[in-house]
Amino acid sequence: MFRDPKKAGTIASPYFVWALIFILVPLAMILWYGFTDDTGAFTAANIASILQPEHAKSLLLALELSILSTVICFLLAYPLGMILAKNKVSSQGIITTIFILPMWMNFLLRTFSWMTLLENHGVINGILEFLHLPGIHVINTPAAIVIGMVYNFLPFMIMPIYNSLSKIDDNVINAARDLGANSVQTFLRVTLPLTVPGIISGVTMVFIPALTTFAISTMLGGSKILLIGNVIEQEFTLTYDWHLGSGLSIVLMVFIVINMVVSALSEKKDEQ
Amino acid sequence: MNSKRHPVEKIYMAIIFLFMYAPIVTLIVLSFNGSKSRAKWGGFTMEWYANLIHDSEVLNAMANTLIIALIATIVSTLIGTAASVALTGMKRRTRSLVIGVTNIPMINADIVTGISLMLLFKVLHFETGFLTVLIAHITFDIPYVMLSVLPRMKTISPSVYEAALDLGAEPFFAFRKTILPDLTPAIISGALMAFTMSIDDFIITYFTKGSGFDTLSTKIYSEVKRGIRPEIYALSAIIFIVVLILLLTSDRIKAKAGKSVRRERSVQREKIRRIGVIALASGASIAIILMALAFGGVFSKNSTQVFVYNAGEYIDPEVIEMFTEETGIEVVYDEFESNEIMYAKVAADGSAYDVLCPSDYMIAKLIDNDMLMKLDPAKIPNALQYIGKQYYESATSFDPGNEYAVPYCWGTVGILYNKTMVDGPVDSWDILWDPKYQGEILMQDSIRDAFMVALARRGYSINSVDPEEIRQATDDLIAQAPLVQAYVVDQVRDKMIGDEAALGVIYSGEAIYTRRENENLEYVIPKEGSNVWIDGWVISRDARNVDNALAWIDFLCRPDIALMNFEYITYSTPNVAAQEMIEDEDIRNSNVAFPDEETLSRCDTYVSLGEDGDRLYNEAWKKVKSAD
Repeated sequence: MFRDPKKAGTIASPYFVWALIFILVPLAMILWYGFTDDTGAFTAANIASILQPEHAKSLLLALELSILSTVICFLLAYPLGMILAKNKVSSQGIITTIFILPMWMNFLLRTFSWMTLLENHGVINGILEFLHLPGIHVINTPAAIVIGMVYNFLPFMIMPIYNSLSKIDDNVINAARDLGANSVQTFLRVTLPLTVPGIISGVTMVFIPALTTFAISTMLGGSKILLIGNVIEQEFTLTYDWHLGSGLSIVLMVFIVINMVVSALSEKKDEQ
Repeated sequence: MNSKRHPVEKIYMAIIFLFMYAPIVTLIVLSFNGSKSRAKWGGFTMEWYANLIHDSEVLNAMANTLIIALIATIVSTLIGTAASVALTGMKRRTRSLVIGVTNIPMINADIVTGISLMLLFKVLHFETGFLTVLIAHITFDIPYVMLSVLPRMKTISPSVYEAALDLGAEPFFAFRKTILPDLTPAIISGALMAFTMSIDDFIITYFTKGSGFDTLSTKIYSEVKRGIRPEIYALSAIIFIVVLILLLTSDRIKAKAGKSVRRERSVQREKIRRIGVIALASGASIAIILMALAFGGVFSKNSTQVFVYNAGEYIDPEVIEMFTEETGIEVVYDEFESNEIMYAKVAADGSAYDVLCPSDYMIAKLIDNDMLMKLDPAKIPNALQYIGKQYYESATSFDPGNEYAVPYCWGTVGILYNKTMVDGPVDSWDILWDPKYQGEILMQDSIRDAFMVALARRGYSINSVDPEEIRQATDDLIAQAPLVQAYVVDQVRDKMIGDEAALGVIYSGEAIYTRRENENLEYVIPKEGSNVWIDGWVISRDARNVDNALAWIDFLCRPDIALMNFEYITYSTPNVAAQEMIEDEDIRNSNVAFPDEETLSRCDTYVSLGEDGDRLYNEAWKKVKSAD
């Protein structure tokens, strides 16, 4: 089995067939639809349509909101990861579980809870009114979408950062301190570089779903704010233009590839 | 150990904790709230839980979620483990190529994965539903299994296995005895990961599911888009508690296992192996049973079912039950949000639904594109007898020979406003552009209705395809966008009842219902004129259950059923016999439900815009939606 490639091929063949039919062929179909028009003739118009103001705007807004959410998630998660990783005793399991638990709840219900909280006559405004404070108008604004993104994806940032922090050997930190580094220096030159892989995987796990979401923007943006995910979704469910929807999906994939390359490069740099 | 923690750290943890759990606690508290309003406490109640238990749709969705997750986990674990084992024996270059492909569904955006699979299924004419969702889940689960198993496999030395072979063991036996025990923990954790991903998935399921099939995620999404029901709070609470218990117990088991591993490793390993085998065996048998049930369901589908695709909140649910009781035909019932969404679905798969309920202009479009079937008059006697002649007459505008459609409801589009929040009488569409009501306006999230408002306001035809007129209407709608609180469809009624907005564009049928719930609401058809519409039942050309679909249409035309429906949905019925049976005189003579000639003379029906017109509107609508 190990030394005989033929046998290995047989055992892996169900997977090869599966990957071919359900991973590669579908991607090829997106490419095919994206580069053709109704008549089946080649066209680059579907891709180029990203330059139309309304498409470009939805992409830029999606980039803006997802980058903002990623940064906020990172700023919230890193200190928390440090606190959680600090005491490496058995009880940490439970404490960590507590911070990751919301991730296990249905993603739409998590978003739904913020609909309830943020509405004009929702829970938060109800409390503010009770305290005779002025109400907030957040629902159906980009701010609501950012809150939804941060809330949904924060555990995805906490997990890898916490994992990489808890793997750091105490002796490394102690060595740095013994050699005269102060706590800021130790953090910047030892702790932070050692957690780069965790940060990268956290950033990817937050950025990609945030960039491509359509459910969060629909629910918390009142269908008023179109992100690139909404535009693509509507091409398939509303305006029935598979070619345009595929073309925009290809554009989206470019950003995913960029993210992959950037993270691969920084990981390589880190290894050196 | 905790004593070392700095107070600042404690406070920080507390803040994050609050941020994470306040929403969940809110949901749980609200699940016991007697009042439907979110901001008020109306006493303790278990009503929403009781409703939930009787909600067969939610329960079905929950069962679907579990069945899909279970089968997908088992299949992906088998395929993924086999592939991981085999890959270790392959050349490095092949290996990294395969791993690269494997990682695609994990790295790629879910929306792209979902769309790519949807395209595949549509092109191959795969009937979307249970099976396609299952395939999609297996596809995105495999990488998670391999992610867990591959690294472990790399650390296992083949020498023991080879020794076993040399000693004459059969390959599979040798594998089972030497490698599998070391691999089992990785397989189990991979399977758990796959299971979690499958349970939580929404986006990929959303694109690959077909008619009448929902998992919990897709069900919640459509519920939430329709408005906030307190039953969803109850559902959230139950799910949260279940997850909490599962996680805490698994954590405890893990902690225990971790300790004992150190002490008696081999015994533990044996145990894990046994548990793994038992879990796999029982899982597989459950899956086989479930699959048999599912396929049984698929096969029994043909003769006794009818697939209905109706607008949201557009029928008395009891009517559906009565139909099944009387005819023995099971109803698979789905709802669409707008005519355009319905069209996209039916155009993609004409056999997904048997019987549809679109509006006038959309029926014309369906007829133009040869997507409907002529109705057999002999099989719909009620429709011929009880639907008023004048409604058939009006229907000729979109269905010239009355061959395709039976009128179901009709009405107008107007402004619903809250008397306490709006000054003076409302009589013009202009008020929707009044900056005074910034953030208090709800527009319809429907292309035709939104443009109708803008076109009528300027005195243009509501069916205009003149590029200049559309440009002006687009500019007006863009100018209006900052004032609009949200573009919604069925949510208008809940938001208006809950005082969430002062003004909303709404269909006349909702006016009667909302008035009942909130007496400050008033409905008006603006002086510039509006749209009068007829929705009708039609049968898809590729319908698989034509006779059942005809029986469905005819059943809805029975006067007692039409009356029941009218009283529930409060949309004007074209069923003359039912109109006469309406007991409430105010409603029977209501100008909202049955507007007078003068009002109607100001209103126009929609006509189909043609392909170019549709494109013009679609482009313009996208500009409006991305304006703010």
